Amino acid sequence: MEPPIYYSRSEFIETDTGNKVSRRATIAGPQNIILGGKTIISSGAIIRGDLRRSGPGHAVVISLGRYCLVGEGCVMRPPYKTYRGAFNYYPMKVGDHVHIGAGSVVEAATIGNHVEIGKNCVIGKFTIIKDCVKVADNTIIPPNTVIPALSLFAGSPGRFVEDLPESTQDMVEVHTKQHYSRFQPLDREH
Amino acid sequence: MGPNVLYHCPCLSTSSVPPPPHQISSSYSFHPLHELFFCEECDAVRCNRCVSVEVSGYYCPNCLFEVPSASVRAEKNRCARNCFMCPNCRNTLSVVPSDPPDAGDGRLLAPISTVGEPPFFLYCNHCRWDSSEVGITFEKPTGLAAQLQKLEDSAPDSLEFDRLKEHFEPIIRASSLSSSSTVPSTSHSRHHSNPITAAASAALARDIPGVGKYTPLTRSGRSSGKDRSANKDEMPEYKSRLDITKASAYGSGGGDVDVDFMRRLETVSEVASLDQRWTYSWSTSLETRDLKPLRIPLHSKHSKRCPACAHILIKPEQKAQSVRYKIKLVAANYLPAITVALPHQIEMLGHISAEATKRGTKSTAEDDRDTRGGLQAGKTYPFHMALTNPLYDPIQVRLSVQRMHVAPSGEGEKARRPPFAISIPTTPFSVAPFAEAWEYEDDEDMFALDDDELEARLSGREKEPKAKSKTVGVLEKRANVTVVGGEVALGKEARGEIKFNMLVAYTYRSDDPTPSEGHDISPSKKAVPETKTFAFYTVVDLGAIIPKDEDSRLEAYNV
Ligand SMILES: [Zn+2]
Ligand SMILES: [Zn+2]
Ligand SMILES: [Zn+2]
Ligand SMILES: [Zn+2]
Repeated sequence: MEPPIYYSRSEFIETDTGNKVSRRATIAGPQNIILGGKTIISSGAIIRGDLRRSGPGHAVVISLGRYCLVGEGCVMRPPYKTYRGAFNYYPMKVGDHVHIGAGSVVEAATIGNHVEIGKNCVIGKFTIIKDCVKVADNTIIPPNTVIPALSLFAGSPGRFVEDLPESTQDMVEVHTKQHYSRFQPLDREH
Repeated sequence: MGPNVLYHCPCLSTSSVPPPPHQISSSYSFHPLHELFFCEECDAVRCNRCVSVEVSGYYCPNCLFEVPSASVRAEKNRCARNCFMCPNCRNTLSVVPSDPPDAGDGRLLAPISTVGEPPFFLYCNHCRWDSSEVGITFEKPTGLAAQLQKLEDSAPDSLEFDRLKEHFEPIIRASSLSSSSTVPSTSHSRHHSNPITAAASAALARDIPGVGKYTPLTRSGRSSGKDRSANKDEMPEYKSRLDITKASAYGSGGGDVDVDFMRRLETVSEVASLDQRWTYSWSTSLETRDLKPLRIPLHSKHSKRCPACAHILIKPEQKAQSVRYKIKLVAANYLPAITVALPHQIEMLGHISAEATKRGTKSTAEDDRDTRGGLQAGKTYPFHMALTNPLYDPIQVRLSVQRMHVAPSGEGEKARRPPFAISIPTTPFSVAPFAEAWEYEDDEDMFALDDDELEARLSGREKEPKAKSKTVGVLEKRANVTVVGGEVALGKEARGEIKFNMLVAYTYRSDDPTPSEGHDISPSKKAVPETKTFAFYTVVDLGAIIPKDEDSRLEAYNV
């Protein structure tokens, strides 16, 4: 019994698999980005698929699973490091049912399934987030952090706060699916 | 947070009736449905407060290594590999080689496990603390905990702890022998009575007169004299390795060392905060520069049991990072899920979202929930409750509001009736069974505004109110959800939160025949389906009434 979240039909492009991507989002290097389906990229989001590993051919830089949400003004940027003297970008993989709140910057290496990241967070380079994790609003996760499954992290630097309930997976799944169905075009444009 | 429904676990109350919602104890007795368990054996709801918890496995939260329980104690419950916490900010430390590579662009790159030159040190890429500042460096970048082992083992706190263990071990051994033979197995055996607590309570009983009779050891009868003689736990006096009066040599003992330090102090950050020193088991230096890296404490996975019958309710899979369970008896699989909403609020939020979309501005609907869709004293509002059936059989539900009185706010004032009245349907209604096909894939389950209405609202021309439809009663049935309507009438002087306790009783077909009637049941006979009823309490929170001075702001919105 949640209210719909309306968007203007002219702003969003809907793909065959139900992804909804705002025309006001910056999708750099779209050929290197994979969206799993029913994933929403909000307005003002920046996804840097152009920052790819050096070398020939094309490579997946950022992949997102099904029922994800990249909030308004989020920045998704692949992590980078200098290894044996060579600077390189590394791919970022995001699972299914992952919501990223507005204004967050993400440079993680992997994010599991059923993960909720709050608003205005910074997820540092090469962070590994396991399944069923929640990161509270305004959390700063320093580079290389590992966040174990079923835990809540908050603060600056982000620290473990508590274990999440056993039914987190079901809860997040319902929430992300509901969010997708609440996200509806407003038909009457003038 | 909008309106919500919480479920009662009866573990804290002596009666089956929960406390009224305005009592403080209410918040301890009610929980979100998804945090509750269900014991089939006892046919009862259980919560995290009452289940008994057992550790089913240990792992390091950073390297995710699963530590066998046999080595947990020897490793002092902390990761014995490469995982350290920054003593300054509690971030995880990285191992870096000497001379971190300079990016040359003025940015400080946090070097990450590059193969470099020894010595290696621990570096915090959040606050830039580094272990070479406290004289800790490593020859190789692996097995750091082992390399630090010598330092750790010779620390005064671990030496003292070893001595304490040596002192108590024979006593614990002796008391475990005596307690297993002399303590009768009363109901107290469930209360984690192990040799250590037995020894501790015996010591307490001896030192503090009168305490003894509350301990499980002396529970039977009051013959304290006799029981005391039964305690074979005469404890020899412990002599500490270090004289506590000389502890100031290690800092924070308040002696000359600290005074000297204070004299030389230039900035506050030179003093380690209490938070930074708190986890040390020994008196430590006051100085930030003396803080040592901390091995990361292990985490554990838990099994949960019913406190009454000891049946397992939660059993996680062995693998530390698996989020699956071998056994998971959660209340959400047994009890109907109830959500509550105020239609006027939902409509308002939808309207705000639509308006924002039209204007091309960012929607701030979530933040406006409290004021624009708020409740005003003296008005009557309909509310909707949606009940979702998790069972594969239909259920019959009956709702009733628990009568209550508001506690007197002062001396001599009598308990009053709450300043609002709730009407909900009192006749039973059905909720269809759950079926996989009704999963949320194509859920269009929302209160959308119809276009004309939207148009009218946006242009400020409100239509004539529609013919009043039924507010109290069953409003809608779809899939395994039944929506019922209720109404809340707020008194003129109503203030505060609108909360009420609601009893939910549901009847379902039970698969197993009742054993007591088990004479001559042949399967060929047409079985009359057994029905069972389960009842539980909820607290329904409809939100807060807007304080009077905010009313004027609302008029602009035509609520
Ligand atoms: Zn309980
Ligand atoms: Zn570790
Ligand atoms: Zn630090
Ligand atoms: Zn039980």
